[in-house]
Amino acid sequence: MEQFAQIIIGGLLQGSVFAVIALGLSLVFRVTGIINLAQGGFCILGALTLYTLEADYGWPVPLAVLAAVAITTLVGLGLGAASFVPSLQRLPNSSMLMLTAGLMTAIEGLALVVWGSQPYAVPPFSGERPIVLLGLRLPSQGLWIAGAAVLIILSVWYALARTAVGKALLACAENPMAARLMGVDVRRLTLVSFGLTALIGALGGIAVAPIMSFQFDTGRFFTNAGFIAVAIGGMSSLGGAVAGGLFLGVAEQLAAAYVSSLFATAVSLALLLVTLVWRPSGLFAPSRQRRQDVREELRVHRAIVRFKGRGALVGGLVVLALLAVLPAIVDGGTMSSLVIALILFIAVLGLDVLMGYTGQVNLGQSGFMAIGGYTAAILATGYGLPPLLGLVAGIGISLACALVLSMVTLRLRGAYLALATLTFGLLVDSLTVGLGDLTGGPSGLVGIPAFSVAGFAFDTPQSLYYLVLGLALVLVLGLMGGMRSGFGRALQAIRTDQMAAAALGINVVRYKMAAFGICAALGSIAGSLYAFDFHFLAPEMVGTARSFEMIAMLIIGGEGTLVGGLIGALLITLLPTIFQPLAAYKIMAEGLLLVLVFQFMPDGLLGTGMRALSRLPAGGPRPGRLTEQTR
Amino acid sequence: MLELRRLTAGYGNDAVLHGIDLAVAEGRITALIGANGAGKSTLAKTISGLLPARDGQILFEGAAIETLSSTARVELGIVHVPEGRQIIGSFTVEENLRLGAYLQRRALGERGIAARIDEVCGYFPVLRERLGGVAGNLSGGQQQMLAIARALMLRPRLIVLDEPSLGLSPALVTEIFALVTQLRDRGLAVLLSEQNARMSLAIADHAYVLETGRVTLEGPGRELLARPEIAERYLGVAPQGDEQSTAAEDRAMAEGLARILAV
Repeated sequence: MEQFAQIIIGGLLQGSVFAVIALGLSLVFRVTGIINLAQGGFCILGALTLYTLEADYGWPVPLAVLAAVAITTLVGLGLGAASFVPSLQRLPNSSMLMLTAGLMTAIEGLALVVWGSQPYAVPPFSGERPIVLLGLRLPSQGLWIAGAAVLIILSVWYALARTAVGKALLACAENPMAARLMGVDVRRLTLVSFGLTALIGALGGIAVAPIMSFQFDTGRFFTNAGFIAVAIGGMSSLGGAVAGGLFLGVAEQLAAAYVSSLFATAVSLALLLVTLVWRPSGLFAPSRQRRQDVREELRVHRAIVRFKGRGALVGGLVVLALLAVLPAIVDGGTMSSLVIALILFIAVLGLDVLMGYTGQVNLGQSGFMAIGGYTAAILATGYGLPPLLGLVAGIGISLACALVLSMVTLRLRGAYLALATLTFGLLVDSLTVGLGDLTGGPSGLVGIPAFSVAGFAFDTPQSLYYLVLGLALVLVLGLMGGMRSGFGRALQAIRTDQMAAAALGINVVRYKMAAFGICAALGSIAGSLYAFDFHFLAPEMVGTARSFEMIAMLIIGGEGTLVGGLIGALLITLLPTIFQPLAAYKIMAEGLLLVLVFQFMPDGLLGTGMRALSRLPAGGPRPGRLTEQTR
Repeated sequence: MLELRRLTAGYGNDAVLHGIDLAVAEGRITALIGANGAGKSTLAKTISGLLPARDGQILFEGAAIETLSSTARVELGIVHVPEGRQIIGSFTVEENLRLGAYLQRRALGERGIAARIDEVCGYFPVLRERLGGVAGNLSGGQQQMLAIARALMLRPRLIVLDEPSLGLSPALVTEIFALVTQLRDRGLAVLLSEQNARMSLAIADHAYVLETGRVTLEGPGRELLARPEIAERYLGVAPQGDEQSTAAEDRAMAEGLARILAV
């Protein structure tokens, strides 16, 4: 009994951290309708700044805490003013979500540059001695965490529910135009709320800093936990966010104590998936009944850039020829990077079909890579099956998972869809770590053979390169045809307006599932090839960070272009190889690039380039005519 | 009170309004009629500051306001009730009304705001009954009333109504138009942008006809109502039709409206 109570206390402690992060997410979501994936980044910035001020400069704790919170809030306001707020009025919600993912990556990269990759630990604010209460041991830091959580929760609740400015903030979320017409300064209030979430994030991060070790990329863990908590509790309810956070904390601690610590995350993720199926609006969300004929998303998607004509054909052939002769020019290191870029491009192609053409967010593409990779690797190493068979088996399992997952996600849209796919990726992630007997656990699976077909082994980078290039070419040509057919038009109709598409007789469910299947299959193929290429597979090679990286590749290259992803994949994979000394800046550059592309060229490098070329006067190079229906 | 001089505005690279000259007088209804795409909503948005003016001037009581933010224009007493109502669906009726008084929340105080809510509910008794109800569940007509009521919370000097009759039943349309005249009689200046030309011309003191972003005709409402080219284009009367009798019909309808108002 005492042990049980101790576990509950631990769970509530951990849960209050989740609750604080969930509150920050919920606040931004209520005010802007956007899930701010950068929230965990503010936690980590606050905690690391506190460490530097306290340990390196010897500031007293209260002063260091205040300064760390102030600095983080300023960074948040800066990021908000420079990117979040101006983009909010121009980008559709799914792009905003990715933009915050980019901000998150940029913050992580910044932390890596400033603080390096080693873990840090801050001493507790009031000593190591636990407080004993009714025979139960309570770490003193727990009181600080609980206190911070209560303070934040009460002030946010009061501000939103009881003040006119709070109401105005909520009005901005639902109908920015109506709010403006009532004299509400929407931009300023949005910026204020973004700054507030940075402040909340910093406070949360600082409060928990002493009870955990953290490093530049711990923010991702915070964001994920907060995201899950807020979804369990209900996205737009502050009380739900708090309850969801506490619930998640207790559930994880109980799972760790009575099942296995390896599966603690898996349990919470499974819990979330059940919640999403059973009560998508959250367990604790009291919802007001309202009419459903109000359009939820006001901003429109951009038109897809299309290229036609001989110019596109010539350009494509030139690029292909260039790619074909590359192996003869480049050195060994660049060669293996090229292979990786091409393999990832195949997974990005799948993403483009789902995200670019069908408009469905997928934050879990790495999950399919992991399934494909591990299936092929386990079948090849443990059972001696030929690699091709393993690759096909991987596709089969991926498709089966996609089918199950799409049953969960079909009813979901926007932030919930993003969440469900992220959960899937995290679930696969935690299973690859947890099922150590099968997957080799965190240290990975070794001795994976090279890919081979009918006795011919693709065991040199060059041979594998040509294989993947050929495959990519076949896929691009096939998908190009597919996207110009009735099938592709149906997908694009769903992307633009799902309701209108359904009204036109398009079977939205079937088309979405088909797009999801294509995406999963291509991710799986890429994962298998990845494993055969490295002869080794570890969970972090196909972890959630990879999902975000592939999304960055897609966006930077250009959504809805199919070939654009190649530019993104090459850029992100090759840049660090070419500029070795800049490797530490890779993550930051990736994040910043993603944010900048979103803000200044939403069509991606390829789309923007093609648009620019098509504006050249006649006589200049004309890669093709652009058809555009933006309004 | 409000004067537009050579006003040009639009979206992206395309201008929608080309040099509009227009005046709205104090305590008068000024109607703006025109077909879809004529630029009526664009004009309304430019006046309220949702859309920047590209060229020309907007004068409010003699002072240029075209560079002011939409917030500053609301402070001056210009409110815009946009097309499609745009209420906050998840708020209650009362919360929507309170949002209307956002800019004066400090000056009014809790009691002042309660008094204002009472005041605007005087125009719309149906809202008083549903103050605690969620606004998104109101019928279309009630939502339109709420949108107008919310705009009245600040006691504006000029109200810009964009298509208030859109999608409403004939009985409700009459009610809304009766309300518009009531507002005018209390001294408010009204700029009424409408596709329902017959009714808006009947109640308008002065009217402008907008075609592809230009003012093509202006004059007192009744006078325009009697013009054959208006009848042909906006009142659905065939050009060969008996102009005398349509004018008589219009007059009869206007008189009917006046009777409703008198009740």
